[in-house]
Amino acid sequence: MFDLESNIRSWSNHLRASGKLKENDITELESHLRDEIDDLTGSGLTQEEAFIISVKRLGNVNAISREYSKINMTSFWKNMLIDSSDRDLKRKSHRNLAWIVVFSLLAGTLAKIPEWSVSLFQNPDSFLLYFKNLSLFLFPMVALYFLLTRKSGWKYTVSTMGFFCLSAVIVNLYPSYSPGNTVLLTGIHLPILLWLIVGIAYLGRGWRSSKQRMDFLRFTGEFVIYGGLILCGILALGLFLEIIFQTIKIDLSFFTAHYFLVYGGCAAAMIAVYLVEAKKSIVENFAPVLAKIFSPLFFVSMAAFSVAMFVTGKSPYDERNFLIGFDLMLAAVLGLVLYVISARGLHDAPNFFDFMNFALIIMALIINSVALSAIVYRLSAFGVSPNKVAALGENLVLMVNLGGLAVLYFQFFRKKIEFSLLEKWQTAYLGVYAVWAAVVSFAFPPIFHFC
Amino acid sequence: MNVSKDLTAASATPLILAILKGNDNYGYSMIKRVKELSKNKIVWTEGMLYPVLHRLEEQRWIESYWKISETGRKRKYYTITTAGLKELETQMRQWQTVNSTLEKTRGISGQEEDPHV
Repeated sequence: MFDLESNIRSWSNHLRASGKLKENDITELESHLRDEIDDLTGSGLTQEEAFIISVKRLGNVNAISREYSKINMTSFWKNMLIDSSDRDLKRKSHRNLAWIVVFSLLAGTLAKIPEWSVSLFQNPDSFLLYFKNLSLFLFPMVALYFLLTRKSGWKYTVSTMGFFCLSAVIVNLYPSYSPGNTVLLTGIHLPILLWLIVGIAYLGRGWRSSKQRMDFLRFTGEFVIYGGLILCGILALGLFLEIIFQTIKIDLSFFTAHYFLVYGGCAAAMIAVYLVEAKKSIVENFAPVLAKIFSPLFFVSMAAFSVAMFVTGKSPYDERNFLIGFDLMLAAVLGLVLYVISARGLHDAPNFFDFMNFALIIMALIINSVALSAIVYRLSAFGVSPNKVAALGENLVLMVNLGGLAVLYFQFFRKKIEFSLLEKWQTAYLGVYAVWAAVVSFAFPPIFHFC
Repeated sequence: MNVSKDLTAASATPLILAILKGNDNYGYSMIKRVKELSKNKIVWTEGMLYPVLHRLEEQRWIESYWKISETGRKRKYYTITTAGLKELETQMRQWQTVNSTLEKTRGISGQEEDPHV
């Protein structure tokens, strides 16, 4: 049975995927297609025949989007923030901007609260306490922004925000004893978990679908880049403020360190959220571009390292923190691979960067297995500490992730599977990260007696 | 015999402007109108009309607005501006110049074929 609606939808999605057309352009073309189909069915054709002929008459989708890319180029830059021709959109965008201001201020103020109370109690571990809560100041505001602007419904909003509150309560009820390793671990792992919760707020009820999750990963990459750039600007402005006020003998250093940078940092993140959303599908994503530049460079560096390791015969595991180094290596490889994948058409044939990704993963796995065999062998000699267990766990989690990608890539090269399976594996695996981060954040402190 | 691709492309702007001079109209209906008027001799790749409309809008020769049709379908209507009317005049004159020049060359080539005249 021919389903007209689903066929029209997949046709318009194809146009959308080119990224060259605005939503209004697609509506216009779709309305044309439907008019034509109506006329043709009116003269006695079946829906399927009418659809095929209308699509053919409208012309090659790629050619159309190429035409659009020519004309939309100039206006894209102008309209990057707000398409001024659309009054509704403009109003919505103003309202979102207002929310951004409110949430920036809220996040900044939230970040100031522990400072007041800590100075009251004169807690010597105040830095660790602050560090542990760092993600709790900003991420709930980002999540709330998405929940509000997307009208996710109050049940969804309450349950998502409830998770943040619950984490805040649990984490702060835990005591901390010297040397405070578990607090540090919580401070590192909680942001990972909470960022994935932000993802649930970002995606709304569609968070289970693989395609949508991939969108959140794309968003994350752009968010980091935009946020980083804006933060650099804020730092530069702060420095400039201090210097220029110094010339008239006013010392602003307290103000910039305690207020300007705290509020500025929160604002940088919130503005990045807004910008990435506003320019989505208008400008090419930058994270994949960076990933493509650095993946060959990273591959060469790792190859050089492994050659040096085998030639000199020196083992990396004499170094105390070597496992953390290898975790970082795996995470970097995963990031590069992920963002190359994120910009890839699902139906493209294997290209240079796919082979690069595969080589990168294999190289990382070889180097890592050398390191891992050493730590497992020596774990008993070192004794169990929360840091080592966490580092080991991370290593395994990352390794399974990359190993899965390698196997799927291999199958894909042999034309056994579709590329979408790689995306599905990667997006489903996000759940593993959430669980692991939750275990380290919430279960490690009691297991290791809050040391 | 159909009009060649190059000529079709070149004539798109005056044709669109001329149709809009009569009445506000939307893309699909404009294409039908051109087919009708040219007795199917001018065939547009339909999707290509819309980028052209965008360009004309950028030149401020036409403007657009959305309207819901009686069937509930969202349609983008185009309307000609005064600048567009002026442009149409100019382009019409240009086409007429080309046309009349072509006509005259027929007379010249006719003379050349018959050197005894």
